[in-house]
Amino acid sequence: MPAEPLPQFLSSVKLKYVKLGYQYVMNNMLTFLLIPVMVAIVLEALKLDPDELVALWRSLGFNALHTLCTVFLIIIIATAYFMSRPRPVYLVDYACFKPARNCRVPFATFLEHARLMPFFDEKSVRFQVRILERSGLGEETCLPPANHYIPPNSSMEAARAEAELVIFSAIDELIAKTGIKPKDVDILVVNCSLFSPTPSLSAMIVNKYKLRSNILSFNLSGMGCSAGLISVDLARDLLQAHPNSYALVVSTEIITPNYYAGNERAMLLPNCLFRMGAAAVLLSNRRRERGRAKYRLLHVVRTHKGADDRAYRCVYEEEDGDGNSGISLSKDLMAIAGEALRTNITTVGPLVLPATEQLRFLVSLVARRLGARGWKPYIPDFKKAFEHFCIHAGGRAVIDELQRSLGLSAANVEASRMALHRFGNTSSSSLWYELGYIEAKGRMRRGDRVWMIGFGSGFKCNSAVWRCLRTVNTPVDGPWSECIHRYPVHIPEVVKLL
Amino acid sequence: MLLMELLVIISTILLLYSLLSFVWKAFDRWRNQNCYLLEYICYKPSDDHKLPTDLCSEIVIRNTRLSLSDYKFLLKVVVNSGISEDTYGPRCIVQGAREECPTLDDCFEEVNDCMFTTLDELFHCTGVSPAAVDVLVVNISMFAPSPSLTSRVVNRYKMREDVKTFNLSGMGCSASPVAIDLVNNIFKSRKRTLAVVVTSESIAPNWYSGTDRSMMLGNCLFRSGGCSFMLTNDPSLKHRAKMNLKCLVRTHIGADDDAYNCAMQKEDDDGRVGFHLSKNLPKAAVRAFSKNLQRLAPKVLPVGEQALYALRTLRHRLWTSKVVKVDAKSTAAARVNFKSGVDHFCLHTGGAAVIEAVGKALGLTKYDVEPARMTLHRWGNTSASSLWYVLGYMEAKKRLRKKDRVLMISFGGGFKCNSCLWEVLRDLQDGGVWEDCVQDYPPQTLVNPFMDKFGWINEENINTEGRNIPSHINI
Repeated sequence: MPAEPLPQFLSSVKLKYVKLGYQYVMNNMLTFLLIPVMVAIVLEALKLDPDELVALWRSLGFNALHTLCTVFLIIIIATAYFMSRPRPVYLVDYACFKPARNCRVPFATFLEHARLMPFFDEKSVRFQVRILERSGLGEETCLPPANHYIPPNSSMEAARAEAELVIFSAIDELIAKTGIKPKDVDILVVNCSLFSPTPSLSAMIVNKYKLRSNILSFNLSGMGCSAGLISVDLARDLLQAHPNSYALVVSTEIITPNYYAGNERAMLLPNCLFRMGAAAVLLSNRRRERGRAKYRLLHVVRTHKGADDRAYRCVYEEEDGDGNSGISLSKDLMAIAGEALRTNITTVGPLVLPATEQLRFLVSLVARRLGARGWKPYIPDFKKAFEHFCIHAGGRAVIDELQRSLGLSAANVEASRMALHRFGNTSSSSLWYELGYIEAKGRMRRGDRVWMIGFGSGFKCNSAVWRCLRTVNTPVDGPWSECIHRYPVHIPEVVKLL
Repeated sequence: MLLMELLVIISTILLLYSLLSFVWKAFDRWRNQNCYLLEYICYKPSDDHKLPTDLCSEIVIRNTRLSLSDYKFLLKVVVNSGISEDTYGPRCIVQGAREECPTLDDCFEEVNDCMFTTLDELFHCTGVSPAAVDVLVVNISMFAPSPSLTSRVVNRYKMREDVKTFNLSGMGCSASPVAIDLVNNIFKSRKRTLAVVVTSESIAPNWYSGTDRSMMLGNCLFRSGGCSFMLTNDPSLKHRAKMNLKCLVRTHIGADDDAYNCAMQKEDDDGRVGFHLSKNLPKAAVRAFSKNLQRLAPKVLPVGEQALYALRTLRHRLWTSKVVKVDAKSTAAARVNFKSGVDHFCLHTGGAAVIEAVGKALGLTKYDVEPARMTLHRWGNTSASSLWYVLGYMEAKKRLRKKDRVLMISFGGGFKCNSCLWEVLRDLQDGGVWEDCVQDYPPQTLVNPFMDKFGWINEENINTEGRNIPSHINI
């Protein structure tokens, strides 16, 4: 069923915009008052000649003590002002896991394995193939080694092996890129939704890289495909409390223990779409990193629709009739994603839209309120606020829905489609593969703003806004380096396999 | 000219106003630095969850793969565990006999019962509406479904859309201070925030059904339990708060391979998943503990005690002819009197041996370790939430008075040792989950009823007549 078009959200947003505008004016009242006064003083001073100015100065009766006190006062105010500002969070660099070629799962392999699995019946095989044909995935997506066995090996040992492979590769590459010493990492946040051993994956990283004993480590689990941005949000909060620190954020999804071995259709979808991937991101609030940091984090907005039962149940882990556990995706997924996005952008909109857009929106709002019927509702154009969009590559349908909802062009969603094609749905790390695509294509310029949108079970919609601090020059070392020249590719609606 | 003077006066007034507003902002931020504990509610399962000794032995015997020596080992562990007849287990094991093949619904039932019972009571006691919660942290180490347990809570209580949720997992028995650390850090950049933390452990999906002895210990010691607590940094709620967080120290020695591998969830030789506790565990615990104390001592001890410690260490270094490496630190630590800066000690109830060892290291008396030992006796090892049961005991015994300082210490897989120091804000006297039984504590004797029933298993020649021994055991 088609989701409601965007204008419907305006009704819920009116009061919010007015409140925000009022808050903006109140917060900056001082600036609004001081500036005209200062301008007036300067204008007045310009009218007088130098002698009169000197006479004026003398008449004020300032002696050395007064002057000194005033200067100190101004310095104290300036210092207090700068210290009260929130610490900037810089993204120094990031690295994505590049799978080896022997982990590839071309369509033919997928089809053959599905046929050979003892637990799939003929209908399930045909269903999975139909999904794959329309999925938007390419022939180079990768599954972990354990999933290449027939039947797949879902032991804990194999899951740990996959975790070590993807996470350590990504972190090794990040260390090589940034030159950071493991002992310098102060904060570690790891998110992996479907695999959570004890000791945690964060402890595994501490062990491998010999991180310090006073590290602040957090291991988030079960939070779905939007967990990458939750980790970034947590790292940002931690960096506000700890000056001069480095935060290492690792986002991944471990596929090995989650292969669904049953015949329930709603639960077969993840088998077809989820692929191996990981990303390691280095964040910092050190001022000296500003010189080499790639991006600066401007906003993170989190929206949780779990209070609504339909939204809560749309991505749900459960057991089928035979006791096989898997993740069931409901048919409402697109509609719910659209709703969650609308709620998210009512908060993001006022933070990022340029003043002209907000003014136009306010004017149209006021005009319609006052009864002028000629005015059509004005939909803010998000393309004016951002140069690049990274939409979670959940599947072709999600990207299509978001493109329609936000009124984006094919060029805006190209990064998402190509990342889905080359790497599949790598869950929380997909946003970083998409960012890598934009950089590898040489499109990232200094001053560009990037909007990352992630969706996940719960139902959550999280978004982050980054500003690029330096132009990224090609060629870029990363998972796209060998294949970027072949992209973009045209992805047909249906790839005929059977 | 007049206009000029007027303008100068106006700009001076505005500058003064801005200075005052910045001073106010700084003061406000300083006021919001505190982390207050409003209330904590421990989980008390219903009586149909009880795991008395008869049932324990029945469950042990149900595992047909065990040999006689395994039984002897298990019973010895249980006898020395310090656990009573009143501890609780998950319903699917106690009543359903489904320990080897728990369904997802069994796991959810166990977790739902704990989370929702305690949260209902928490919201009722504090009078806070779930819609007022800004931050939600759920910490259950060995069960992480999709959608996460935080989403489960958000769905059940219809929390707001902008609630910040964090689902911590895999962080072991020391995860309570980790959750508090997370919330405390968020408080530093947000004003008037309310946070709810739920901490528990999931036993149903993690029962070990194999024959590896190092993994069977978990089955014997872990019991059902949990706690929900509410934290805030709003100064206006200070009068209702129970305690105020003074400092928190986290130590992670995972960099050392032995420490990392000493408590690990893995598969045994037959492919069954269990929680392996190695023989290196006590050594790793000691190292983590001493590292944690080194960082904790300056924050907790009064200046006088720190000076004394410095003097003692100096004297020891200068006047001792032999160079004693490791012992110097541990004996010097033992000579530090933590009781000068701390009034009450909440020790993680990892086991009788752990409590004794920590008590000895800190120089604690029987009175000081009593809450931890009694908690172990009444509730077993409830993993991350055990600290809150210990705190509940102290409160029920009316030991917590205004201005007292409480130190919580916990250990967990990884290997981590986390500690936090609280200051009590008012005289506390809630019975909580101990209300119906605290008058029976401490009991006259802690002799384990297992000893009476199963002591015969240690005999040389076992007389099998009249004993209820299953047929698959060869004696």
